[in-house]
Amino acid sequence: MAYREPLPPDCPPDDAEEITTRRIVYRLVESNPPTNDDFRSLLAKEPDRKRNNDTECQESGLSVFSRSNDALSCTKFAKLQGTMLCEVTLNRGSGRILRTGNRRGHHTWWPLADFDILANSRVV
Amino acid sequence: MKTVEPTDILDYYDGVLLFEARDPLGGHYIGAAAEPKDGYDRFVVTGVRPERLREFRAGAVDLRTLMLESPWGEWYIALTNGDPGESLVLEPQEGNLADTTGLLPLEGYTLDDGPIDDPVLQQAHDRNNVVLEFSVEPSEAARGHRVGMAALGRLLLQMQSVVKYACLSAVRDLSFRDRNAFDARDGYLMDVVVPAAPGSYRVILEAAKPPDKFGYGGLDLGLQRLDEVFACAGDPGLALESLQKHKGQLASSYIKLMQFLSDNDTGLSYSWAYPGLESASCGGVSVADARRLASTLSGVTSRVTEFVMLEGEFERVNRRRGDWGLLTDNGGVKTGSIAVDGPDLDGLEVGKRYRFQCEKVTELVAGRERQTLYLVRVESA
Repeated sequence: MAYREPLPPDCPPDDAEEITTRRIVYRLVESNPPTNDDFRSLLAKEPDRKRNNDTECQESGLSVFSRSNDALSCTKFAKLQGTMLCEVTLNRGSGRILRTGNRRGHHTWWPLADFDILANSRVV
Repeated sequence: MKTVEPTDILDYYDGVLLFEARDPLGGHYIGAAAEPKDGYDRFVVTGVRPERLREFRAGAVDLRTLMLESPWGEWYIALTNGDPGESLVLEPQEGNLADTTGLLPLEGYTLDDGPIDDPVLQQAHDRNNVVLEFSVEPSEAARGHRVGMAALGRLLLQMQSVVKYACLSAVRDLSFRDRNAFDARDGYLMDVVVPAAPGSYRVILEAAKPPDKFGYGGLDLGLQRLDEVFACAGDPGLALESLQKHKGQLASSYIKLMQFLSDNDTGLSYSWAYPGLESASCGGVSVADARRLASTLSGVTSRVTEFVMLEGEFERVNRRRGDWGLLTDNGGVKTGSIAVDGPDLDGLEVGKRYRFQCEKVTELVAGRERQTLYLVRVESA
């Protein structure tokens, strides 16, 4: 099972759930239609950041929300102003996912290489 | 230079968006992600009063308001090239924070998803799925946390049955397109995920299938329909009216459930939620009302007609009586007779595939239902 990006050792963690059924998640993107750049992890974008083992694994995945409102609330931060809400349809073979962070709907998703993200994403 | 120690990450999206921090003297601070600068993550940081911070955490105060009411108007910038897990150096800033651009969050940001008091809604969030919890208090529960095996088995089947027919009833009211999006084969199925939760005898179920493009596979609509039916549980007259409105199998499964509760000398309460709800929806029936409903409704008669399309192999025929059997693709044989003015069966060959358009009549008599299929049209498949 190859992931879309190289991951640190022991990542995703054991409690990350393998996605086996259809579900919708939301991500913020800069382009419409979304591009591959919108789905690059923080680890891939900024490999030289200071990080420890925990944050390294989380930053090798993508932040997604199970509820659109939670994603939209993030756009109120100056860092994310101007980004657009993107609906991503996950299904069997799309990777593993884990609820992370303090916000209830936030998840970290580690996509598999074979999953066609762009074909399953649309700005809403 | 002032330093603060981040104590909690309040929001995260591909990196920290919002953190809480303390200075060496115990003062409280909050830091929000601003536009990055020169490859560094930049946070705008202000001091906050503990009671206002608590109100913010409870969702009662907006973040921008909280930051702008910083004591003495002091505000800072913290730069980091990693997540703010360690001490951060705060650079004091001049001027009015409200006049800056690219730093402050917009109005309307609140932490509105604090701890959920409702355990069913919490379960729905944790599972990101529709969750239905129900509890009963049969006589054996008086001797401890227990329920008879046969009673539990029957109860689960009755609950699944009433949920199924509530879903199908709700879906029948949808537009043709929406109805097609609902997977009628198993969209109503639920799994037991907590078979014996503490409290009275409590069972927690969740949708066997997670949300699909239709939302929750029609299950949420079905459970809303169930609420409508249970809302009348205290008034047999209204219950009768409600069941006559929904009729058919929903009525019969509800009546069977009331009979079961009456026989087992227990009421039933339930609660259901999915993550998008503000609060769980509740309903139920007391044992006295269940007895009254079982007795009043057992004599109810109703008849509901709908059209269905069957496809399969023509399996048997009695041309004299006009009876037929069609082996459908799920392996079951559907049998029926011919509708008044329906086609005759003379040209049909056993073993060939056909599509049968039928009128399905469901009759409810004394709490028992009977279904009959009447062939209206036939075509080769």
